Amino acid sequence: MSSLARAAFSSFRVSTRLRVVSPYAYLNWLVFPLLFAAVGLYVLSRPGAPASHLTYGLLGGGLIGFWSITYLDGGNGIQDERWNGTLEQIFAVPTPLWVILLGKIAGSLLFGITAFIPTVAFAYFGFHALLPHIDAPRFAISLGVLSFSFLAIAITLTPLFALWRWAFQMLNGFELGVYVLCGFMFPVAIIAPWAQGIAGGLAPTWATRALYAATTTSGPHDYVAWWLAAIALSLGYMVCAVFLYRLVERHARISGDLALA
Amino acid sequence: MGTQAFAIEAKQLRKTYTTTRGVVRRERVNQEALRGVDLSIRHGELFGVLGPNGAGKTTMVKIFTTLLLPTSGAAEILGIDVVKDAQAIRKRIGFVFGGDRGLYWRLNGLDNLRYFADLYRIPPDVSRRRISELLDRLGLAGRERDKVEQYSRGMKQRLHLARGLLNDPEVLFLDEPTIGLDPVGARELRSIVRELADSGTTIFLTTHYMFEADAICDRIAVIKKGEIVAQGTPSSIKQTVENQGVVEFEVVGMAADRLAELRALPGVSSVVVSERELAQTVTVQCARPGDVMTRLGVILDGVKLQKVSSREPTLEDAYVQLIGESS
Repeated sequence: MSSLARAAFSSFRVSTRLRVVSPYAYLNWLVFPLLFAAVGLYVLSRPGAPASHLTYGLLGGGLIGFWSITYLDGGNGIQDERWNGTLEQIFAVPTPLWVILLGKIAGSLLFGITAFIPTVAFAYFGFHALLPHIDAPRFAISLGVLSFSFLAIAITLTPLFALWRWAFQMLNGFELGVYVLCGFMFPVAIIAPWAQGIAGGLAPTWATRALYAATTTSGPHDYVAWWLAAIALSLGYMVCAVFLYRLVERHARISGDLALA
Repeated sequence: MGTQAFAIEAKQLRKTYTTTRGVVRRERVNQEALRGVDLSIRHGELFGVLGPNGAGKTTMVKIFTTLLLPTSGAAEILGIDVVKDAQAIRKRIGFVFGGDRGLYWRLNGLDNLRYFADLYRIPPDVSRRRISELLDRLGLAGRERDKVEQYSRGMKQRLHLARGLLNDPEVLFLDEPTIGLDPVGARELRSIVRELADSGTTIFLTTHYMFEADAICDRIAVIKKGEIVAQGTPSSIKQTVENQGVVEFEVVGMAADRLAELRALPGVSSVVVSERELAQTVTVQCARPGDVMTRLGVILDGVKLQKVSSREPTLEDAYVQLIGESS
């Protein structure tokens, strides 16, 4: 294993261990997704509602949990490093910051995907919700593409948390915006046309669309186009990230903002 | 600059922080942390920097460890420019900041070291051997699987040092490493630091403690308000107060006018008062201690005098004079 891959894996391992011992992580993993799933399932399972609505209730809570953990844990992880006094330590090592963050976010991604376990179990046992028409291979690919799009957004935005303490509060709004804009709980088609324009620029929108399409036989099934749109947008974010990391490194060394005091 | 004659070299190093003040009408404020620092530190030297809080010691360390960029001037570590090639420097240096923070408390000591060994990109077989050596050398063997939160302050500081030494650095930066340690722990750490310097590691140490600098440093710089006000061996720094003596006395209730009278005496260069419960200890640096002792009787007439003594100046006296002179 190359030294960079080993550093990324070590970062993954340490961040996962720290997450397992943090009670706050369980709030994100278990409580919040269950709350969203419960609300969604009650609203969407009213008598007479189409079966596709229940699918949103079944998967929506898990998707929200998955996204929250991947995105917010990256930010929380950076804040924790600052409070621990380790942010400066990891900044001044020979491993580039993006490699360390890649490992951390990969840990968040793994932890985040487990958010589906409580929500799907809740939907199944509480509402007898099932996915009878699931196209398993396409569903799996769509979930992979969705994971990649989450990773790309998190890795692009996380260095901003390292640089500016206020960025975390400001970008909390983005977390909620993605719930709505990317169609986690309901189809993007029902939101305002101008908001649909913004949604189109977000990679998870296309991956989520493919994911839901893989659970139903009705509607369009342009998987390849949706996957490619999500992957292309994600790669675009990562190109921006290259410039952003240079900017963050330079700015952090000018301002000295990595330390708590 | 550009040669490897020195392990650390700085020329006219300046650092200005820009902060903002106010909530509605935000105003930019510049704070000069370093104001033209020149330093040349030889390979294998143990160099100490003394200075009060806010003098610029930590800023200097952070520039040398590539955590900060200088506003102007130049600095090289092992002949490498800190601005142009930070990555090359990071592989070859280690650093330890004082205090409890900077470790993952919920992990054990071994996991902390393994993690940083990977971030320093040390091959696994080398890091295993190195970690084992460091645990032995720093007295942490047997406790490496305990969580860091269960460590004493001294153990945490030794773990910090182990982390700083993982990559077998050619230059080690220690920013107030003994702060908060008990006397035994601090003495142990100083002895380890001296051993490291004797084995050829260049060490840049900042400290508040004069005796620490006096005991272990080959050379010292005194920094005040971002400027080096004196530089040399501990004995040469002491020579700045060579022709001076120190009179110390303990009184109960020393009025300000009497202190002013004392300061006005011919040959008196500084008067420092430290409170000790109800009493005050007054330290007077002066050219002719005998004269001061004679005049004390008059100045302190009616004041309860508990103890009077005269002694040779120490590095601390030199430091107090240097800091006082440049204020």
